[in-house]
Amino acid sequence: MSEFFDLESQDGVRMTWNIFPGTKQEAVGCVIPTAAIYTPLKPIPNTPVLPYAPLRCRMCRSILNPFSIVDYIAKIWICPFCFQRNHFPPHYSSISEDNLPAELFPQYTTIEYESTPDTGPAVPPVFLFVVDTCMIEEEIGFLKSALAQAVELLPEKSLVGLITFGTYVQVHELGFGQVPKSYVFKGSKEVTKEQILEQMCFFMRKPKPSVGVIAGSRDGLSAESIARFLLPASECEFVLNSLLEELQKDPWPVPADQRASRCTSTALSIAASLLGVCVPGSGARIMAFVGGPSTEGPGSIVSKNLSEPIRSHKDLDKGSAPLYNKAVKFYEGLSKQLVHQGHVLDLFACALDQVGVAELKVAVERSGGIVVLAESFGHSVFKDSLRHIFQSSDYDLGLSFNGIFEVSCSKDVKIQGIIGPCASLDKKGPLCSETVVGQGNTSAWKMCGLDKKTSLCLVFDIARKDGPEAIAQPTSNQFYFQFLTYYQHNDGHMRLRATSLSRRWVAGPGSIQDLIAGFDQEAAAAVMARIVSFKMEMEADFDPIRWLDRSLIRLCSKFGDYQKESPSSFSLSPRLSIFPQFMFHLRRSQFVQVFNNSPDETAYYRMILNRENVANSVVMIQPSLISYSFHSVPEPALLDVTAIAADRILLLDSYFTVVVFHGASIAQWRNAGYQNQAEHQTFAQLLQAPRDDADAIIKERFPVPRLVICDQYGSQARFLLAKLNPSVTYNSDNPPPPGGDVIFTDDVSFQVFLDHLQRLAVQ
Amino acid sequence: VDAKSLPRPLNGHEEPIKILETYPLNCHPRFLRLTTHAIPSSQSLLARWHLPLGAVVHPLAEVPDGEEVPIVNFGPAGIIRCRRCRTYVNPYVTFTDAGRKWRCNICSLLNDVPGEYYCALDASGRRCDVDQRPELSKGSVEFVAPTEYMVRPPMPPLYFFLIDVSVSAVRGGFLEVVAKTIESCLDELPGFPRTQIGFLTFDSTLHFHNLKSSLMQPQMLVVADLDDIFLPLPDDLLVNLADSRHVVDALLDSLPSMFQDNANIESALGPALKAALMVMSQLGGKLLVFQSTLPAIGVGRLRLRGDDLRIYGTDKEHTLRIPEDPFYKQMAAEFTKNQIAVDVYAFSEKYTDIASLGSLAKYTGGQVYHYPSFQAPTHHEKLGYELARDLTRETAWESVMRIRCGKGVRFTTYHGHFMLRSTDLLALPAVDCDKAFAMQLSLEDTLMTTQTVYFQVALLYTSSSGERRIRVHTAAAPVVVDLGEMYRWADTGAIISLLSRLAVENTLSHKLEDARQLMQLKLVKSLKEYRNLHAVQHRLGGRLIFPESLRFLPLYVLALCKSVALRGGYADVPLDERCAAGYNMMILSIRRMLKLLHPGLYRIDENLIKDSEEFNESSKQLALSAQSLDPRALYIYDDGFSFIIWLGRMLSPDLLNNTLGVDLSVFPDLSRLALLEHGHEYSRKLMRIIRRLREKDPSCFQLCHVVRQGEQPREGSLLLSNLVEDQTAGTSGYIDWILQIYRQSQSS
Ligand SMILES: [Zn+2]
Ligand SMILES: [Zn+2]
Repeated sequence: MSEFFDLESQDGVRMTWNIFPGTKQEAVGCVIPTAAIYTPLKPIPNTPVLPYAPLRCRMCRSILNPFSIVDYIAKIWICPFCFQRNHFPPHYSSISEDNLPAELFPQYTTIEYESTPDTGPAVPPVFLFVVDTCMIEEEIGFLKSALAQAVELLPEKSLVGLITFGTYVQVHELGFGQVPKSYVFKGSKEVTKEQILEQMCFFMRKPKPSVGVIAGSRDGLSAESIARFLLPASECEFVLNSLLEELQKDPWPVPADQRASRCTSTALSIAASLLGVCVPGSGARIMAFVGGPSTEGPGSIVSKNLSEPIRSHKDLDKGSAPLYNKAVKFYEGLSKQLVHQGHVLDLFACALDQVGVAELKVAVERSGGIVVLAESFGHSVFKDSLRHIFQSSDYDLGLSFNGIFEVSCSKDVKIQGIIGPCASLDKKGPLCSETVVGQGNTSAWKMCGLDKKTSLCLVFDIARKDGPEAIAQPTSNQFYFQFLTYYQHNDGHMRLRATSLSRRWVAGPGSIQDLIAGFDQEAAAAVMARIVSFKMEMEADFDPIRWLDRSLIRLCSKFGDYQKESPSSFSLSPRLSIFPQFMFHLRRSQFVQVFNNSPDETAYYRMILNRENVANSVVMIQPSLISYSFHSVPEPALLDVTAIAADRILLLDSYFTVVVFHGASIAQWRNAGYQNQAEHQTFAQLLQAPRDDADAIIKERFPVPRLVICDQYGSQARFLLAKLNPSVTYNSDNPPPPGGDVIFTDDVSFQVFLDHLQRLAVQ
Repeated sequence: VDAKSLPRPLNGHEEPIKILETYPLNCHPRFLRLTTHAIPSSQSLLARWHLPLGAVVHPLAEVPDGEEVPIVNFGPAGIIRCRRCRTYVNPYVTFTDAGRKWRCNICSLLNDVPGEYYCALDASGRRCDVDQRPELSKGSVEFVAPTEYMVRPPMPPLYFFLIDVSVSAVRGGFLEVVAKTIESCLDELPGFPRTQIGFLTFDSTLHFHNLKSSLMQPQMLVVADLDDIFLPLPDDLLVNLADSRHVVDALLDSLPSMFQDNANIESALGPALKAALMVMSQLGGKLLVFQSTLPAIGVGRLRLRGDDLRIYGTDKEHTLRIPEDPFYKQMAAEFTKNQIAVDVYAFSEKYTDIASLGSLAKYTGGQVYHYPSFQAPTHHEKLGYELARDLTRETAWESVMRIRCGKGVRFTTYHGHFMLRSTDLLALPAVDCDKAFAMQLSLEDTLMTTQTVYFQVALLYTSSSGERRIRVHTAAAPVVVDLGEMYRWADTGAIISLLSRLAVENTLSHKLEDARQLMQLKLVKSLKEYRNLHAVQHRLGGRLIFPESLRFLPLYVLALCKSVALRGGYADVPLDERCAAGYNMMILSIRRMLKLLHPGLYRIDENLIKDSEEFNESSKQLALSAQSLDPRALYIYDDGFSFIIWLGRMLSPDLLNNTLGVDLSVFPDLSRLALLEHGHEYSRKLMRIIRRLREKDPSCFQLCHVVRQGEQPREGSLLLSNLVEDQTAGTSGYIDWILQIYRQSQSS
């Protein structure tokens, strides 16, 4: 496995198959798709940033890289993708084997180019806060202080804007200076960008051009008219703070049997149009803070009548959520607008109710936005996550903007699509596979928002047909890939990161061992999780359990070691051996067992899954469990109910939740206060160790997970028990060991699952 | 004819108080005047009168010195009214049946006297308590109305300001004057502590102002969707002034600077009016509209018209003087329905369609204030004074007025600013001492048999203190069978006042020329009738004879024809000024109307120089002719709306310098001269004279223009064209006019 980590740390890439099945048919036989999870902005130490523009292939526009074949005498390089011979330009004339430009160094498969200052000034990032005011005073108070803190932490020079909404939408003119001033729009009415231009007086000092206005200063809007709404944070801090100070609950009365009139979609649409008017094409994000369900405007998710409940998964399944499709359609439109403008939508949904994350998902995900879901604006999940976004430290997100992601591949590899936070740019070409997954049918994608952690899942197709010439050794058995990411770095300059990769392919009999050797089961689990989630959303009547089980069985049939019809003879290579366990937990996870959650929660979990790297995805699928006891140093424990013991502390990390679970005896001792006595210093240390480790996890993770500290048999213990393999349940034959626990479930245990798998795999 | 012998009203205006000698129980003529205090007994007699028969009513006129309108509270008895015609009990009702019944003087019905109101009668049949009962002894009383007279709790005084803040508003500087004036008046707005206040500013967008009392400073909320106006807040757009005083102060302090850099040239008055209606509809109140430019966007958008010379003299000429878009009248109807009175302050240097804007005031009991080409340095004092008066004068709220009269006569038309709610009920969302109303009487077919006919004006209103009140003025007039009596009792002031309003209304459906001719015709017919009457009696032959009571009427009619509202044609008066003058004339009291038509002209240089001489305007009033002007002297001309100081060409430079502080040898621009008191005695004296003149006409601020003899074109437009006795282009001089009238009244 470690070689996969090495590859990841060099290029930010994990692939399901690191040695590719060489033909279409073999690829199909491998069951798990050939796919890569790529983290375009993964911090890679010592990556050179070249202060010049890259050299491009005349034919296919891919850029010069270490896999290019260079003829130093003729000053020519051959593109590994299309085999085009390209002349070096004059300023490369001194190139020789001993004098290579950085982009040809073999170790610099990932490299960055930065535009020189004369290609454009640094563009400040824009943060447009969109704040819900239909909340109880207490929540408004929490939100106010969180926002005030965020304002303080905003990157220097960034521009800020503020929109508040409830029954109506208020766009605050922060630059007015005299008194707080805002433009008010009806929540029930859609407002177009043209209306924004007109009604917010953007053409006041100039005649409005009769045709062709898109907006932005390049299209004739004066800088002053834009600076009314988007101001450098340093200039409007006072105004912003006093506005937040006076921020009031939505003043319109709400009858006792009704929900507040909350026009989230209209507010977001206006926010998008405002950015479209002011800063089209330059990095900007809408940060929406929503405290309840949208009930007004095209994106409402529920009627105002409190007697009507908010849609559940059951309602969605039955098609009895009348507003759902309309809202999703609206947000699809909004996402297109955002993508077109290059702007991001971040969503902070903090309420006990659902707010409509499920409907909003498309806009957040396509625009590469951040999403945080919490019960309250006072909860640390929200507060600390918001702080995490802006604080500059080792863990800062490195928010970047306005990305474009492009892929080049060897001609036998096609791309089906990307599952992840991006949107197709509809750049069709020979590279596109006929099979489409996620954002497909293109070789270029928009990533309006991306950060250090944003990870895309690219699904490939092998196009080489089976046949004699396929098996006969061709000139090269390498596939080449090039991932190009253009983006607005958080320093304001445009950059291009290029990652160029090569993978060997194999074909024909005897290639199985090679394939197994290249199988990255963690990456495969992450990819399967994204694909199964995607299919559940897109395909009506899709049965995820059946699909996962069949895939696993077929995989084991193909790559397992066994004698036919003899389950007991079955074994798997270490390269595949944990995969069934991943699939077991994936089947039980929130991604597949959606009925335990609300549609908002499901949407949230999936959005996070779709932007995380392999390691974190694996934690989501199969939480990590560490056991602390007097008997040993902290050690990983089996994610199984048998891990529970009275004299142990368990630390469960399921990504969204971090649980510190005290065994019954530990809890007793702690309640007795032993940790405070000098002679029980080791106990104090034992208590503290899991807390420290939990803190370490929380500190680096975004969104900040929920921390649950609980005791065995306590009510909060369910956060642990729900994740454990139910090897001992209330109807097990063998009772738990003393101090152990049982799980009240009818779910099958992993052992039962594995038995079935072996039986079916050998058939 | 000797010009000197022609009659001129040079002794100021006298009220016809001698009627009170005959009818001591009548209300003071200041409140109610008839065009003739002798009602003809038949239609045939009226047909020979030719002048309008009617009344001018000024229900809240300032009470004569030393008098007051007594307030009567009937308590549990309720207000005593006639069961049939609803007339209020008054000095002319008679008590019978030992005091148990009273007979209505208007409809003659015998009514029961309620027990609580019973009083025995004395030997002559008068109630013994008459002297203790103002309602039985005074022509004007005010009743405190019980709850039956309320359809809702009495509203608080409410002032809502709708202020155009587009570029031209800021440029002219009125915004600053308005803000400062409002702020300075806040302590004096009537109705503390109930007074409510609110603001809406607008350009191409509407700016609402949240004045919630808990805020540190106001918040501005812009609504820009002109096709779909809505209120951005459920409350706090109208607030209690006492509670939100600091927020209101903060708003007014920052209002001028807030829009200093406004580049918006558009003005969405129509949508702003709709918004104001939404804000105010709950309570009603006064809406003050400040408009600086032609509202050209949104509903009610107006277009430039009236610059077409060719339309004058055609059948369409009058259309320029009426609203083009029914929007404004419809809005006015809505406002009145919701007890909102609209005052329009217009400032533009260009055409703003006062004809349309003014209809807002016309149908809501409001007023049009026109400051063409407003420039703060020149006009700030005038605007400040007039706005302050508008805000602080005693105002009657949510009122209705009705005038009842005895059998045989009937009011048929009403002329002034109001909305006619039914055939005889005038809705007046707000009314004050600066508004008078006129109405015409017609006679029933049958001959009048009574000797006296009674009139009763009743104004039901809410006082600023929140009391529901009814002000009642009652008057009696004799019924006559003789035309001579009608002439004897004719009231030139009331006649010219009513005639002026009819003439102005006539210009809304006819050419100016036609309206003038109609006035002339009425005059001629009347004099001819009179001549016939007396020629027969006295064989007076060829002389033009006037009844004594109407001796000034020819001059007033001449002045009316030369007034800004009626004079000339296209080039003589800008359309907006003409329309504004017309709206203005529709609300004037008789006294102010007469002064406007025949202004005072005084020579004052001697007053300045001589030590002891005090200025006494009535004794020294001069004929309105250039011949009155001595080139060595200094004159002041006062029409009640502005003063013109005329400097004779040969006026001593010393006198000039000491009086005005200017040296003419350096050719100063007199149009920009601001009259200030300075150290010299002459200056102090002049200012004293000006103050004295202003005190006589507190309804508005007379701006002082200084002009030098021969300074053209200012001398012409300011003074010469207003000297009604002189012949100017296209108009007759006084002598010519008299000759013309004479000739016409001779012909058959
Ligand atoms: Zn190429
Ligand atoms: Zn009666």
